Amino acid sequence: MTTIANRRPDFIGCYDALGTRHFYGATAQEIDRSAFALSRVLRSFEFAPGSNVLTISMVPEVIQYGAFERAVQMLGFYGLNADDSPFDAGRVESIVRQFAPVAVCGVAKSTLDGLAMMGHDPVKIFAGRVVWARPDAYDALVALGIPARRVASIGPMLALECASGGLHFDDREWIIDDKEGALILSSRMNRVEPVERLATGYMGSIGAEACGCGMREQVVKLA
Amino acid sequence: MSGRHLPDYFDPIETASRDYLDDLQQGAIVAMARHAYERAPLIREAWDKAGVKPSDIRSIADFAAKAPIIDKDDVRAFRDRTGDPAGGMSASVPGETVSIGTTSGTTGDPTPVPNWYRSGSEEAYFRDHWHIGLRPGDHFAWMMFTFRGGHRRRFYPEHGITEICFSISPSEIPRYTEACRRWGPVSGAMFSNPVLLMLEAHFERTGEDPVEVFKSFKGAIFGGEPLGDRLSKLTKSWGLELFETTSLGEVSGATMCRMHDGFHAYEDLAYIETVDPVTREPLPDGAIGELVVTTLNDRLTPLLRYGSGDLVRIKRGLCGCGRNHARYDLLGRATDQILVNGRSILPREIMGLVELHDESRAGLFQIVRTAREMDKLHLRVGYDLARLCGDVGAFRSRLHDAIAAAIDVPLELELVDEQDLLKLGPPHKIPRVTSR
Repeated sequence: MTTIANRRPDFIGCYDALGTRHFYGATAQEIDRSAFALSRVLRSFEFAPGSNVLTISMVPEVIQYGAFERAVQMLGFYGLNADDSPFDAGRVESIVRQFAPVAVCGVAKSTLDGLAMMGHDPVKIFAGRVVWARPDAYDALVALGIPARRVASIGPMLALECASGGLHFDDREWIIDDKEGALILSSRMNRVEPVERLATGYMGSIGAEACGCGMREQVVKLA
Repeated sequence: MSGRHLPDYFDPIETASRDYLDDLQQGAIVAMARHAYERAPLIREAWDKAGVKPSDIRSIADFAAKAPIIDKDDVRAFRDRTGDPAGGMSASVPGETVSIGTTSGTTGDPTPVPNWYRSGSEEAYFRDHWHIGLRPGDHFAWMMFTFRGGHRRRFYPEHGITEICFSISPSEIPRYTEACRRWGPVSGAMFSNPVLLMLEAHFERTGEDPVEVFKSFKGAIFGGEPLGDRLSKLTKSWGLELFETTSLGEVSGATMCRMHDGFHAYEDLAYIETVDPVTREPLPDGAIGELVVTTLNDRLTPLLRYGSGDLVRIKRGLCGCGRNHARYDLLGRATDQILVNGRSILPREIMGLVELHDESRAGLFQIVRTAREMDKLHLRVGYDLARLCGDVGAFRSRLHDAIAAAIDVPLELELVDEQDLLKLGPPHKIPRVTSR
């Protein structure tokens, strides 16, 4: 894999793998490419133009969640933001109450902890919306009866679940090998920071069959 | 290539003449009055109530004489009455809104702020960082929350600057210092009291050399609260020049230049004036009054004559930095002012007195105000149990005597564990004045 000559990242964000946080740079163009892939997943929900979508993330997650946010804008939705932090859980409750977003993306354990700390009922907040949960919050939301969907930062890439239940990833941009159950990530396209066989820390497999939503992107199944 | 053969000012408007700025403002105010009246329900309501139409506004003088002043209470009242989360200030402009940011929400539900691809704040802050020395090819260290506008910002990359992104958390500090060594950012934002305290604790714990960490910086922007003497001296010892910033009435940001003689309000982005905080009558430049701000370019939140609640003194005339844009001294929040035996006291003054002591160096305190005029100052100060040398009584006496001597009014001092105050919000957002 070759780097692109004389190019620098526009943003230096991060990804977590095997318990360590790494710096990772990307260009705005690369983020836009990811956004196009994510917008195809978003379209499977057929949200009305002008709908509100809340993203819960942190500033260093710009490579992953910046792409999601760009996808929201591409489809004519309005993005709102809260931090992935117990201290900003009150903002999540307030935004949901005031703006009735059709979807909330990036719900993490920290948000659920913060809501509990502030005495807010997550069922009341998330019921009736599309809720994409991070891996550390997914089971807790499902246990509460909330039909959560998955969102996962697999290295610097964001995988997002479609309306048909497939966790899609941008397979034009990335290759995932499921070597002995461990997901190994590499970049396919020229990137300002190529990724070569990154051990993501996720266990799982790549779906062999096409997703029922009709989108061409492959599906990853997390163990 | 960094910094060479490039102009000293990012935008030519920064060095525009006073006459040019006046003409520009006049045209912008007339246009914005028409736009806001047509699009923002609260403005239309307030102007109708005052019997003013956009056609009545043909000059700045007309505007200052006729346009009603609105403030945060009006926005909240409209919100409560109508259910409009934007409080009647969000203009529907199809195709322009790309996201909705929210305010910090320190005093209630966060207020939505519709965003276009660029905001007045981004325009202003980019000029400020350019003034500090940031140029295409450089790195910029960005430590912030997402709620202001998420990840949509592209201004810096569009100008060839790489943005290194951090959240505001103690766990980010080792990454921050590592990034400084690795990429040598030229400027940074947003420094605040909590961030400086996190950095100080990190340097104390690890022995890492702050001078080495910040050697690439030509400056950084600091905001959220006033920069006190202790932290100012501390950062200078790190070789870091901080440029204080503040919110320009929720229309933009206002940042000090290298002269450090007042906050610059870019007058192509906002029209600023002062009024008497009680009568709302206009005051001349140089008089202490409430800052009233009008946006000149934000079509999505067209705040007209917005009473900021900040007590300021406006200075016009050419600044040593070469700009004609107005500056102002910020004295504090009008609503935070307390009179003790006739003496005016604002939290800004107390901050510097509290943070001087090691036990209370985080500067966490509240003024307990049960009436606007009182015969004794009731001050609640948070202290760090781990930093207490000796008994708490001795610390109380030392702190009491130092503060009482400085402010020269009777003082009732209440000490609490600083963790109790931190339950009220982030360190720079705890209510500085409380009724109980």
